[in-house]
Amino acid sequence: MSERKQLLMIDDDPDFVEGIKSILTAAKYDVDVAYNPKDGLAALQKKRYDLLLLDIMMGRGAEGVMIARKMSRDPKLRGIPVLIMTGIREQIAFLFGSQALHPHFVEVDELMEKPVEPRLLLERIEALLKAASQKASEKK
Amino acid sequence: MDKPSRILIIDDEEIVLDSCLSVLEGRGYEIATAPDGTEGLKKAHASAPDLVLVDLMMPGISGFEVLEAMRGIDPTIVTIVITGYSTVESAVEAMKRGAFDFLPKPFTPDELRLIVERGLEKRRLVLEAMALRKERELLQQNFAAIVSHELRSPLSAVQQNLFVLVAELEPQLNESQKGRFERLKSRITDLLKMIQGWLRAVSVPAGEIGGDFAPVSVREVIAKAIESVQPHATRKDVAILDAAPEALAPVLADEAILTEALVNLVGNAVKYTHAGGRVTVSARQEGDQVVVAVADTGVGIAAEDVPFVFDAFYRGQAGPDAEAGCGLGLALTRRIVEAHHGTISVDSEVGKGTTFTVRLPVATAESTRPPGEAATPSTLDPGDKR
Repeated sequence: MSERKQLLMIDDDPDFVEGIKSILTAAKYDVDVAYNPKDGLAALQKKRYDLLLLDIMMGRGAEGVMIARKMSRDPKLRGIPVLIMTGIREQIAFLFGSQALHPHFVEVDELMEKPVEPRLLLERIEALLKAASQKASEKK
Repeated sequence: MDKPSRILIIDDEEIVLDSCLSVLEGRGYEIATAPDGTEGLKKAHASAPDLVLVDLMMPGISGFEVLEAMRGIDPTIVTIVITGYSTVESAVEAMKRGAFDFLPKPFTPDELRLIVERGLEKRRLVLEAMALRKERELLQQNFAAIVSHELRSPLSAVQQNLFVLVAELEPQLNESQKGRFERLKSRITDLLKMIQGWLRAVSVPAGEIGGDFAPVSVREVIAKAIESVQPHATRKDVAILDAAPEALAPVLADEAILTEALVNLVGNAVKYTHAGGRVTVSARQEGDQVVVAVADTGVGIAAEDVPFVFDAFYRGQAGPDAEAGCGLGLALTRRIVEAHHGTISVDSEVGKGTTFTVRLPVATAESTRPPGEAATPSTLDPGDKR
C-alpha cells in the first residue's frame, strides 16, 4: 500500500498553512486545507483522511477544540489521528487542565507548538500515522 | 429600543399610587405598585425594577428600611423617596441611605415626571458604567491570551516559512545567506520567547503569585536567566559574568516567575550597556536574606529619574543602540520581587553603570512545605523554564 496519504489541515492563517503545506507536499503527502472550522468539519465528512492537522485558536476562541470534541463523538472520525498545532502552550495548559501536553481528544493525538521545524513535523506525522494504523489493526 | 424601564411605587395611600400611575402611564414604563414595604420588597425581588418610589412614612416597615433592603437586592436600583412631611432632615437622611432624590408631597405631575426621568437616566448611566467596567476586567483577565494570540500568530507564520525556506533553498544558499537566515530565525525565536515571558508576568495578578511557592535555588534561577538573555548579549557584544557562588540558601519562590524577574533585570542591563561592556550577576547571603545584584557598565540612570524607574510605563533614555523598552519590565520585576516578600533597589551613576539589588528572604524550615503537600499546579506551565 504505497498510495499517498491524505492529510487535512484546518487553520485560519493562510501564511502558516502555506509554510506547512510546502513541507508536507515535498514529503509526498496530499494535503487539503480548510481555513475555518465549518469548512473543516464539512471536509471531514466528505472525504476519508489519514490525518488531521488542527489549529486550536480560530474564530472567536478555541474553536479547534470544538472540532476535536466533535470528532471524538463521531465513530467514523474517532480513529483519525490528530496533530494539534498551537502557538499558545500556556493556553493549552488552561484548556486541558494539568495534562498540558497530551490532549487525548481522540484515540491518537498529539500537540505541537507553532512554529515547528520541518524535520520534527514529518517525524511526528509519521509516528502518528503508524500509531493510528496499529490501533486500527488491533481492533480487527 | 431596549426593554421598557420598570418602575415600582410603594405607598400606603391609594390616592398617591393612583395619581402616580395616571401621570406615568402611557410613557412606555412598566409600572408596579405596592401598598406597604413588605409587599414592595417582594415585588422588587420578583421584578427587578430600575427605579423605586418609596413613601417614607408607611405602616409596617418604614421607608428607610425599604431603602436599606432595596440596596441589598440590587445597589444599582435608583430609589426616590416621597416625603409626606417635607422636612429637609428626613430627605437628607434618606439620601444618606442611598436614595437618589426626594419628592415632597404634594407634587405636580411635571415634578414627578421629571424626577422619574432623571432617575432612570441615572440608572442607565450606572448600568453603562458597570458594563464598561466589566468589559475592562474581562479584557484584563484575558489580556495575556488575546495578546499572546495576536502577537504570536503572525510571528509563528513568519518563522514557519523561514524554516521551510531554509530547508527548501538549502542547496542554493551560500554561507553568508545561510548565516542571515539563521539570524532571522534566532531573532524571531527571541521575540516569541520575550512575548511569552512578559505575558506570563503580566497575566499573574500579584495576589495570586505565591500560591505554590517551593524552595528554589537562586543559583539555578540566575543560570537560567543568563541563558535566556545570552543570545541578546552575544549579538550586542556584551559579556555576562555569572559571579554567583555555588552554595546559596534556597528561597521560597515560584521558580518560573522569579526567573522572569531576573531575566528582566539581566536583559535590561544588557540593553543599556555599550558593546564591549559587561554585566555582572552576583549573589551572596546576608543574614536571613539572599542578595542578588545585577550590575552593568552601561549608560546609567540620571539621579532625578531614579525614583521613577519602577513605575509602570516609565521609560528611561534609550539604550546606546536606541533600544527602548515599553516601560513595563522593571515595574513587573518589582511586583514579582515583592510578591516573593523581597525588596528591590537601584544604584546608578550616569556614564558609569547601574546596579539593581534584589533581596529575598531565605526559605526557613517552617516556611517550607513538606513535599507531600505540594500545591496544585498553577495555570502556568512549570515545565516551561527557559
